[in-house]
Formats: sequence, structure tokens, C-alpha cells
Amino acid sequence: MGFKSIAIAAALVLSSGMSTAALADYPEKRIDLIVGFAAGGGTDVMARTTAPFLEKYLGNDVSVVVKNMPGASGQIGVTAVAEAKPDGYKIGTYNLPGTMARTLDRNADYNADSFTYLANVVNDPNVIVTPKNSDIDTMDKLVEAAKKRPGAVTVAMSSLGGDDHFFLQKLTDVTKADYTVVPFSGSAPARSALMGGHVTMGIINISEVVAFRDELNVLGIASEKRSSMAEDIPTFKEQGFDLVNGALRGFVAPANLPENVRAKLLDAFQKTYDDPDFQQAMRRSGNPTELALGDDFKTLNAEQLELAKRIWETTPWK
Amino acid sequence: MYGNLIDALPSVLSMGNLLAVIVGVVAGICVGALPGLSATMAISVLIPFTFGMDPLVALGMMAGIYNGAMYGGSIPAVLLRIPGTPAAVATSFDGYPMAQQGRGGYALQVAVVSSALGGIVSALVLMLLAPPLAKVTLLFGPTEIFWVAVFGMSAIVFLLGGDVIKGLISAAFGVFVSLVGADTITGAERYTFGHLELLDGINIVVLLVGLYALPPAIGLLEEIRDFDTENTGRLNTTSIWKAIPGMLKYWKTWVRSSIIGVFVGILPGAGGSMAAFLSYNEARRASKNPDDWGKGEPEGVAASETSNNADTAAALIPALTLGIPGTAVAAVMLGGLLIHGLQPGPMLFRDNPEIVFGFMWQFLFAAILLIFLGGALATNSFAQVLRLPRPLLGAIIISLVFIGVYSINGRMFDVYLMLGFGLIGYFMDKLKFPLPPVVLGLILGGFAEQNLRLALRIGGGNWDILASSPTAKVLIGMILLVILSPLFSRLMRARKAKRVAE
Repeated sequence: MGFKSIAIAAALVLSSGMSTAALADYPEKRIDLIVGFAAGGGTDVMARTTAPFLEKYLGNDVSVVVKNMPGASGQIGVTAVAEAKPDGYKIGTYNLPGTMARTLDRNADYNADSFTYLANVVNDPNVIVTPKNSDIDTMDKLVEAAKKRPGAVTVAMSSLGGDDHFFLQKLTDVTKADYTVVPFSGSAPARSALMGGHVTMGIINISEVVAFRDELNVLGIASEKRSSMAEDIPTFKEQGFDLVNGALRGFVAPANLPENVRAKLLDAFQKTYDDPDFQQAMRRSGNPTELALGDDFKTLNAEQLELAKRIWETTPWK
Repeated sequence: MYGNLIDALPSVLSMGNLLAVIVGVVAGICVGALPGLSATMAISVLIPFTFGMDPLVALGMMAGIYNGAMYGGSIPAVLLRIPGTPAAVATSFDGYPMAQQGRGGYALQVAVVSSALGGIVSALVLMLLAPPLAKVTLLFGPTEIFWVAVFGMSAIVFLLGGDVIKGLISAAFGVFVSLVGADTITGAERYTFGHLELLDGINIVVLLVGLYALPPAIGLLEEIRDFDTENTGRLNTTSIWKAIPGMLKYWKTWVRSSIIGVFVGILPGAGGSMAAFLSYNEARRASKNPDDWGKGEPEGVAASETSNNADTAAALIPALTLGIPGTAVAAVMLGGLLIHGLQPGPMLFRDNPEIVFGFMWQFLFAAILLIFLGGALATNSFAQVLRLPRPLLGAIIISLVFIGVYSINGRMFDVYLMLGFGLIGYFMDKLKFPLPPVVLGLILGGFAEQNLRLALRIGGGNWDILASSPTAKVLIGMILLVILSPLFSRLMRARKAKRVAE
């Protein structure tokens, strides 16, 4: 009896000792990085660009393996992350405002509390574009046209409930004018319809416009400061319109991640972001970077959810 | 710009890059020939592996796979009436009857030569005319694309065959399947019953495999003697070089189908199946003996196979210049470019000419290689498959489609869905409902709906917008011509007959 209880105690001590050791040694096996989109998209490229840097800064010869779980505009992948075991071996990509907007317009099996927020690394601000041969090449002309006949300005953008749509809501509020939404499936078809002159203006992101500067007028960019990708584009704030908005992409883990694992991951993301090679790789793939780490990211998420809620309650899109 | 084309040639001809194209073509033919596996899938599986590779090796492989698979799909379409890819449905119309008559080998030779020619034309168009054709793409806004979809639908009229009511029911079923999933405008869920897996709609491969591959595979298991093994087992092939001179009489079909394929390719979203259906129709309309079609007319195989390959490189024109892929495969290939930091747009041609123009050369080489690799591979290897005992062949096909459908998204849900379609297909087959209208209905139904709604939004709810642009007017004229011309000719014939009677 005595021996047995000692043995159990010893085993307990040993196992607990082992488990703390295991946590201290995180990572000690492969880390899966879930991407909710097919290989080759913007989010996937971000994940694949980041993975080798994470491997480098997490140490222990860990491998970070990108796994694509496409479907339901990212919802399947992000749900898998929310429902995973919070041990740091399954993390995933995260898109704003989409991921939060889906908790409003669909039945989602997760909410804002389902995640440990690691790092948001991409901030891709919205821009307003018109065809090169359009008369509307300044914000003032645009507002004038929109006020002259409500709904006469048609706006090409990608789907409803995304950053483009939320930007349009802000634009509607700020300019006190009405616009007609034309939601294409994706930014590229929206941009092409604009270039063909089938719509008046378009709302896309700065990364989607840099290759098309000769074909499009860019009326402004919805960021606090001018973008390093196109220094000549004035911000809306400079032009007297209080408009800041964009698409955000980052990384999350399931909620209740052990504190030491979280600290290790945050440290690795900070070092990754500070690595000039990472910055160069992101620039090459057309991803404008801006870091929001840990709690900052959590605050950012809460703001985005608040914005989505406000728009959903006043002007639901479905 | 043409100088850039020549500059890109040396690196394409390097050993590694050339080998990549060869491997791609062989892999593509195999993937296309195996029911359930598609080029879209093969390329999406490949993309993650290419992340660290030299871009031209990766792109060469993709170009090879794309061209190879478009031809490979015709092999089971001809030999077993199971189209290996959606674009090979029209190939089976005449290819399978030819195989039943013991002319399967010739059908495959016509298919490979036509595929190669279509591919060569398409690659040349991509190389020489990409920028001007991108301007043509821009003419097509939502209104015009809606009319293109209606034009494609009018082809259904001809695919109905004998029983018009049954044909229309089939087409309506296809359109119904296209409705499943999130509404493309508002995101509202339709017929998803709370399943996230259904939100993106039903993948064409799941439907195609369920309807086309499962029932014949079950047939192989249950009614062994129903399959005409006597003739389909024998291919009766002569050397492809001896067969080519006899095919030269199809030149008109080759030219017409190449033009149709390229045109459909530069329009975003339609894809190889629409190209094949349209050009099959046009070829039959132009034929002197339209009544022989569907009973083993080699020209039918030529029409379908030329245009589904002519669609390949052309689909990359809007993809490379505007970022809007012309087909599902081009969409995945775009991902393959993005992963190498190659952003579509006019800057791509300026910043990375050696890669873009190299990629175009690879398309040309892949098309030419088809003649050398395709003919031999099909007749020597895949045709041997037919010598397998029938139940074994059926079992192999069933396991292949399970693997193929599972690997599209890596989930069992799609497999169950495919089994459901298999059941529907089995009964449609027994009740003699035609299958092609289902495929066309699925492809074009959603396409027409989304663009009509976008057009009406742009027009502020005013239907006048649908006939406002010159391009739209031309398209409406073409649709009326296609629908009314058979009526008109029937009327003429009736009047003539009456006069003769009098």
C-alpha cells in the first residue's frame, strides 16, 4: 500500500514535472498553421511567407506547416482553430472584419472570446478609384455627383459584409450622400468592371491598385498616414474626410493558451516582424505590413466587431 | 514586347524547365484521364510545393498539366463514356459511339491532334495578342456577361435531343444545383440546411463524377455483358503520323472551334465546357450531315477537343492582365503566380517579362508535346485498362472517384454528396434523362443569375440597361439567330415540301 501510494506520488511528481518541462520547451513538435482559404490567395501567401520566420525564431528546429482548409469564406478554417486544443500546436490565420462580421450575419460556432490574439501583421487600407477617363477624379467631384442624384453613383467592390462594404458605410455617413452598391465576387472582377467603365467608382485595397496606376485614378487612401507603397496618394484625412478603414490579416490561437506558450509565440512574431527579410518578402508579395501584437490585436478586434455591429444594426446587408 | 518574347526563350529551353513541361503534360494526361481527378485539383495540390521552387519550373509544370488534362479527359470519355473532366462531356457524344464501332483508336487520335492544334492556337494568341484581347474582355461588364450566359444556355436547346420535356427538366435540375450556397450578392444562405460545406456551392467535379462516372461504374459491376467489350477492347490503331493526313478535312472545324475556344477563354468565368458545347453545336450546324452526329462522327470529337484546349492559354489573358481568371483552372494558376510574388496586371509584363513570356512559351511547348506524348500514352497505356476484367475496372473507377472527390476539399461531406448525385444519375440514366443539360445548367445558371442582378443594380433596377451597350445588342442578335434559325429552316423545308406535293 505504502509503496503503491509512493509510486503514484512519484509518478504524479514526475508527470507534472515532465509537463512543465514540456511547456517550457515549447515547441517540441510540429505546429499546424491553418489557412481558411485555398493555396495562392493573399492570406495563404502571408502564412507561407511568415512560416519560415516563425520556425527560425521559435527555435527547437520546429516545423510550421501550412494547412489549407478552404470554404465558407474562411469560416471553416477559423472555426477549426477556435475548437482546437489550446496547446500552441494549432494556430491559424485571421481576417478582419470578415471573421467578426460572420458572427453577425451567419450562425458561427465561435465568437470574439474563442481566440488568443497573437499578431495582426497586414493592414491593407481601402482606396477609392475611378476609371482613368472618368471626369470624377477628385473627392469633391465625387461627392458632388453623388449628391446631385441619389444612387446615381454605382460602386463596384467585393462582397457585402467585408472591409470594402464597411468603408462605403463610413463614406455614406461622412459625405451624407447615397451610393448604389454593386458587390462583385472579389476585388479583381470589381476592378475590371471599373476599368471597362461599367460602374462609376470602385472601393478596393491599396495592394490591389499599385499594379494598375496607369489605368485608374486613385482619389484617396483610408489610412492615418500615406502608404509606403504609393507615397503620392493623399489620405482622406488630408482632404478633410475622416475615413480610416482597411482589411486586416493576422494570426490567432485557440482561447486559453498557456501563458508561457503565448509569450513565446508573441516574442517570435515580434522578431519576425522586425526582420528586414520578412518585410522585404511581404513587400514583394504586395502585403502592406503593420503590427498589432497580443493585447493590441485584441483591442483592434473589439473595435472591428463594434463597427460591424453598428453597421449590421443600422443597415443589415441581408 | 516581341523582343521580350525572344529574350525569354533561352531560359525556357534549359533542361530543368523543359523537363518540368514534359512531366506536367504526362501528369496532366493521367489526371485528366482518371475520373474524379481534375487539373484544378492537381494544380492546387502542386502549388504549396512550388513555394520554394524556381517560378518557371513551377509554371511549366502547371502549363503542362493544364494542356495534358484537357486532352486526358477525352480518353475515358471516348472509351467508357465517362468524361474525365467537365470539358470532355461533349467529346463523349461522338467519341463513345466511335469506340463502340471499333474506331476508338481513331477517335483518340483525332482528339489528340485537335487538342494539340487548339492548344497551339491558344498559346500563340496569348503570346501575340494578350494586351489587345484584354481590352475586349473589358467590354464585357455584367450585362454583356449575362447575355453570354444566355447564349450558352441556348446551346442547351440543341443538347436536349429527342425528348424536349426531359431535356428541360435536366437543365432545370442543373440550374437548381447552381442555386445552392451563399447568394453571391447578399451572402444569404440558400438550400444549405446549416451546412458550412454547402456555402460555397456545389463543386462541378462532385456533380460530374456523381452523374457521369458512378452509374457506368456500377453498370460495369452489375450488367457485365451490357458493355460492348468486343469492340471497345480493340482500338484498331495505325500510326498517328499515318492518320493525320486523313484528318486534314476537318480544317474548317479546327479553325472555327479554335476561335470559339479563344473567345470563351477571354471571357471571365465560362470555361472549357461551355467552349466545347458551343463549338460542338456550331460544327454540327455547319455540317452537311448533321443527322450522323451523336452516332460516331469524328468531326464532333475534333470540334469539342479543339475548343477545350483553345480555351486554356486564352483563359490566362484576363488572368494575367486583369487578375480575373477565365476558368477554374486559370484561377488556381493565378494562385500559383501569386505565391511567387507575381501580381497580375500590366506591371507584370514590365517587371517580370522573362517569367511571363517564358510561361507563354511553355504553353506552346506543352501543346506541341501533346502530339508526341498524348497519342502514345493513350493508345499504349490507358487503352490497356480496357482489357481488365469488367468488375475490377468498375471497382478501380469507384475507388478513384472516392479519392478524387475527397481530395477536392479534404472532407467526407463531398463524397456523400457525390454518392447522392450518383443515385440521381443512376435513375436519370435508367429513365433516359439527358445528362449534358445538367452540367450546362450548373455552369451557366449561377453565372447568369449573378450577372443579371449586378446589371440591374448598375441600372438602378431599370431593365433597359440590358440592351444599352452595342456589345449587348450584338449578343442579343446572336441569341435570336441561334434560337430562330432552326425554326426558320424548318418552315422553309415545310414550304418546299408543300410546293413539291402540289
